[in-house]
Amino acid sequence: MTGRPRWARLLLAVWLPVVLLAAWWVASATSDSPYFPPLADILDEFVDEWVLGDAKWQLLPSLRNLSVGFVGGSVLGVLGGALLWRIPVLRRATNPIVYFLYVLPAPALLPAMIALFGLGEIRQMALIAFGATWPAMLNTLDGMRGVDEVKFDTARAMGFGSLRTVWQVVLPGASPQIAAGLRASLQVSIILMVVSEMVAAEEGIGYFILEAQTVFAITTMWTGILVLAVVGTALNYAFMGLERRMLAWHHGSRRIGGVPA
Amino acid sequence: MSSPSPLPGSPDANDLIGDGMTRTLGTAAAGGPGAQDHPVLDVQGLHKVFNAGRPDERTAIDEVSFSIAKGEFVCVVGPSGAGKTTLLRCMSGLAAPSSGTVRFEGRELTAVPDEVGVVFQDYGRSLFPWLTNGRNIDLPLRARKVPRPDREKRVQEVLEAVGLGHVERQYPWQLSGGMQQRVAIARTLSYRPDLLLMDEPFASVDAQTRFDLEDLILRVRRDAGITVVLVTHDIDEAIYLADRIVVLSGSPSRVREILDVPLGPDRDQLGTRSSEEFLALRKHLLSLVMPR
Amino acid sequence: MQTVTRYARPALVPGATLLVVLVGWQAVTASGLFRPDQFPTMTDTFSALGAALGTAELWGAVGATLQGWAVGLVVAAVLAIVVGAALGANDLALRSAASVIEIFKAIPAIAILPLVILVLGSTLGMKVFLIAFGAFWPLVVQVIYGVRAMDPTVSDTARALGVRGLRRFVAVTLPSASPYVATGLRIASASALILAVVAELVGGAEGIGRRILFARNAGVSAYPTMYAYILVAGALGILLTGAFFLLERKGMHWHESQRGVGTGGLKAR
Repeated sequence: MTGRPRWARLLLAVWLPVVLLAAWWVASATSDSPYFPPLADILDEFVDEWVLGDAKWQLLPSLRNLSVGFVGGSVLGVLGGALLWRIPVLRRATNPIVYFLYVLPAPALLPAMIALFGLGEIRQMALIAFGATWPAMLNTLDGMRGVDEVKFDTARAMGFGSLRTVWQVVLPGASPQIAAGLRASLQVSIILMVVSEMVAAEEGIGYFILEAQTVFAITTMWTGILVLAVVGTALNYAFMGLERRMLAWHHGSRRIGGVPA
Repeated sequence: MSSPSPLPGSPDANDLIGDGMTRTLGTAAAGGPGAQDHPVLDVQGLHKVFNAGRPDERTAIDEVSFSIAKGEFVCVVGPSGAGKTTLLRCMSGLAAPSSGTVRFEGRELTAVPDEVGVVFQDYGRSLFPWLTNGRNIDLPLRARKVPRPDREKRVQEVLEAVGLGHVERQYPWQLSGGMQQRVAIARTLSYRPDLLLMDEPFASVDAQTRFDLEDLILRVRRDAGITVVLVTHDIDEAIYLADRIVVLSGSPSRVREILDVPLGPDRDQLGTRSSEEFLALRKHLLSLVMPR
Repeated sequence: MQTVTRYARPALVPGATLLVVLVGWQAVTASGLFRPDQFPTMTDTFSALGAALGTAELWGAVGATLQGWAVGLVVAAVLAIVVGAALGANDLALRSAASVIEIFKAIPAIAILPLVILVLGSTLGMKVFLIAFGAFWPLVVQVIYGVRAMDPTVSDTARALGVRGLRRFVAVTLPSASPYVATGLRIASASALILAVVAELVGGAEGIGRRILFARNAGVSAYPTMYAYILVAGALGILLTGAFFLLERKGMHWHESQRGVGTGGLKAR
């Protein structure tokens, strides 16, 4: 099964997306549904709006809010998770609160955040950071608690100090699960970025899409959706690429040892 | 090729599972014991290559031919890595030979026939952990559309036949290893196969359990008049169980020798294993299997 | 006496924190650090919650959110199991579809929300479509992993026993893949709740998210109600996560990870 030559595998991977795109092109070419304009029109509009026009600047506030919120929330989450791991009393004490905030669907907080902090980008960043914190925190905690006792004994036997143990033993041991937590955080962050822009903002990709929808500029809306899809996909792939690089040892040991999960 | 040994056991050997149902096997009526022209299983010129045409091409079986008559107990022995499991997979229809043929009752195998049962070494994975023991045994009966009251009865009967009490509501992983392999054997016997293929079935249990299971399989075979092919790396086990032994050479495998085991139908662990004939056979087999 | 304290102690520390948080909430709001139009007091919020619990409005909203969550997840799960099992069994089809699945899995479901609102309106169908779209892609990947990770001994055994077709799928393939499917469902369930709230908040479908927005739009006097509804949203999260945990324990009781967790399970081997 794995014996196919390289070109054949490439062809296999590519033909279906190409066929689907072509099908979209052909099927929409004569479409007179207001919701599904011809793909050709969407691409024309894309060039007008995003290449020649000013729409591309809408990406800047979105990406800025997202990166500040996601990175801030992740750092908070990982540090918080490490702290909860280190101090069991704190872990037990905060358990119900942390758990509640973790399972609370974060977008539900949006109206309250508006009431608390008013409109503005700080609020958007804060909301994204807030949503990103909990998956990162709980996965960090779980990952660190799951580190093999034998590894601690080994570290002790080698005379590692506690900081060094954390850095060299706990962090690498917990990193696959921390990465899984950060991936969940990224997904929540993207949702919160778009929703906050849709509900209460004057700029950003979410605002652009909803604004176009409100004035019934469907083709323009489609370009926004495509851009958002591409940006979201690119972010996810960038994250996966980074993860694969940093966790190469982990993926390697798993590929030999067992099933991919 | 040596002549198959006579069918052991009493004339009412068909009555394993206790309901006296007549077994439907054409060759049995026509040929009876020793019908060389109607073997249950006929392996001719079997050759098996993995990853053919690629850099990691590997020949598992070079050339293997033998046939097995109705009612025989044949053991296949060979050193580790001699392609024994591959051979059994080809004999059961789980794998297709690269060339050569495997015929079961005259038909060339394309899948596992309904009349063939397979018992695997790894009972822990072969028994489905999500089903109770009872449901595990029930599954092949459902697949064969056996009516429900009959199925319930048969589950009881085969569990009794393998010496297990009421474990049908328990899960396999709640039992000891030996008991799990008994359940696996019961599951295979439940649909009354004509041919039982076993791949190192006792390799993963402790020595005492192993003796018990060997005697169990001898009894089952005698009571059911079933044909058994058992693959093992343990030559003592092969001599103790078999009427005939197929000795394979190392990788890629070929048949080194096929020899009769004239120890008669009745065997017991202590007596048989210490008999002169047993020891002589053992010495001969060792000389075949040991690398020179 | 001693046993009472022994059993009560685990709940003591978290209970105390909860108390501190509630009292702290009351302190910062009642003292005027936050104005009532920013953050209502704890007592106001809880009395609003008490009042809301007696209204059909709240329970209708909870029902609508749960309905969207459940229907969306079921649709996604059924489709993912059928498609995933088919792809998992066919190498050529899988290699063809893999890139499409990877791309769609990476697209944030939220991107299609405006389009879905436009086509389907502020309806249950809109919510269900969004949730099903968001849950399907990660789920189908898990199903494929699960089917492909099937132990060769398990599939050999099924063939040797003559178990084929639909029976094989139901009795062997699905249970064998179920640990992967369960993990996928657990993750999908959390994101489905988020998407349900978003569909209500942005798309205007009936449900808890829409009620939160209504309360906010009703002005300062309704703020305690808004927070009460947020608490209810969190309670929904706890309920669904907990329900999933119990369901997984029950459905997967045979799996190595769950053995001996339940009652009276004999130790394996």
